[in-house]
Amino acid sequence: MIQFIEVSKYYDNEVVIKDISFLIEKGELAYITGPSGAGKTTLLKLIYRAERPDGGRIVVAGWDVGDLMQKTIPFLRRNVGIVFQDFKLLSNKTVFENIALSLRIHALHTREIKEEVNEVLKDVGLKHKANDYPQHLSGGEQQRVVIARAMVSKPTVLLADEPTGNLDPETSTMIMKLFREINARGTTVLVATHHRELFSGTGRRVIYIKNGELIKETVG
Amino acid sequence: MRNFIYSFHVAVKNLWREKWINILTMLTIAVGLLILGAFILVTVNMDAMLKRWSKDFGLIVYLKENLSPEEEKLLGEYFKEDPDVVEIKYISKELALDELRQTLGSMTSILEGFEENPLPASYELKLKREALSPVRILQKTSQIKQLSGVEDVQYGEKWLSSLNTMTEGMKIVGLLLGTIIFIAISFVTYSTIKILFYRRLDEIDTLKLLGATRRFIRYPFLMEGFFIGTLGGLLGFISLIALYSFVSVKMTDFLPSFSGVITFFPLELYPVIPLAGAVLSLIGSFFAVGKIKY
Repeated sequence: MIQFIEVSKYYDNEVVIKDISFLIEKGELAYITGPSGAGKTTLLKLIYRAERPDGGRIVVAGWDVGDLMQKTIPFLRRNVGIVFQDFKLLSNKTVFENIALSLRIHALHTREIKEEVNEVLKDVGLKHKANDYPQHLSGGEQQRVVIARAMVSKPTVLLADEPTGNLDPETSTMIMKLFREINARGTTVLVATHHRELFSGTGRRVIYIKNGELIKETVG
Repeated sequence: MRNFIYSFHVAVKNLWREKWINILTMLTIAVGLLILGAFILVTVNMDAMLKRWSKDFGLIVYLKENLSPEEEKLLGEYFKEDPDVVEIKYISKELALDELRQTLGSMTSILEGFEENPLPASYELKLKREALSPVRILQKTSQIKQLSGVEDVQYGEKWLSSLNTMTEGMKIVGLLLGTIIFIAISFVTYSTIKILFYRRLDEIDTLKLLGATRRFIRYPFLMEGFFIGTLGGLLGFISLIALYSFVSVKMTDFLPSFSGVITFFPLELYPVIPLAGAVLSLIGSFFAVGKIKY
């Protein structure tokens, strides 16, 4: 589902990702970990083509990401749900509208949008907050809205960048539970985190990177 | 189609959300189109007036002394066959003298010194509007002068030349003014949409990451520009009607002979001003949004 073949990325001649190769199978839930500045966020950006690889090949859900034309990139991204570290919620739209935006892009009918958004809001436990604005929600609630927005269009791949960044342990546990549920429905999930406790004892694959290099692959 | 409806909805919402900058842009477009519309209206009315005046324009062909009536008639036939001539009037020596006497009134005594009628017979030729350019008139005059039996040809050279200079001048100024105002309208909308685009940069980035196509991102901005231009154009057009009504009433009061002379644009040209605003703003918006990169 996500395949890296000797992928490299440079910023001003400085190596950020160096000859990384791995394969995340369809329906897998895996973790990428490493210290801050190791290249985790860049690695995720390469998957949804916010960055272009300088070397190697990346294949995501059948798309050869490095060779995509500009006009094709939106169609790759519709297959990849993203949970951003900084949420990227629109402050002038309600929770409902933020989630619905993802489906508007897919040109769904208003009635279908209403049904799908209400369904996903129920899944993340925020149905009662549908008409609130993001800035009036707690960090944990905002993160759940982001997850709802990422999963509402039923992507084949879900990427999460430090999804529990500033959240308390209880909320973090709830967020990780959500990812497991999404994965159980067949979505491939890749979580980038430097919090060891998120993957310890899960029995899931963990990819360690440091200074842009893949150090090891283990089971959490 | 659904994306189009959604874009329309977003554009209307944003039009309201950013109402002050949008109103300012609309007013600027309205003023620009009002100035241009008023200028065109003045040109159109002046052109109509000049056309009316030019109907009285004519050539006077003076005939040589001692031409036989047959020779004079032959010349008359020649002028009748000329496609540029619309009206011919023969003025005999006697008629010319009568007219002169009438003009001189009480001073006719100065004519008593002449033993014979000193005035020549003549033909007054009225020409088609299309034949009234200085070049064609000059050609026509020298052509007629070469005819045997013709003594001289006279016409209102200076008047014709000023008439043409004025009409041509108005057209050039109109074209120049039109170009400047058209560029200004596109530029004003360009600036407004550029500002609105930068204000929504975060939203655009999020849309791109969620898989929005360029069209999905671009459409609301283009529609917003289109609405601003249309509303600005409508406002300009309404102001032009108001200005026209005011000026025509005032002019008729001041110069009653102008009553019914000043006209407005024909009905079929009514949509042109709002349409011009819409199209120019759309062009400005298109360049403001530019190429969206992922």
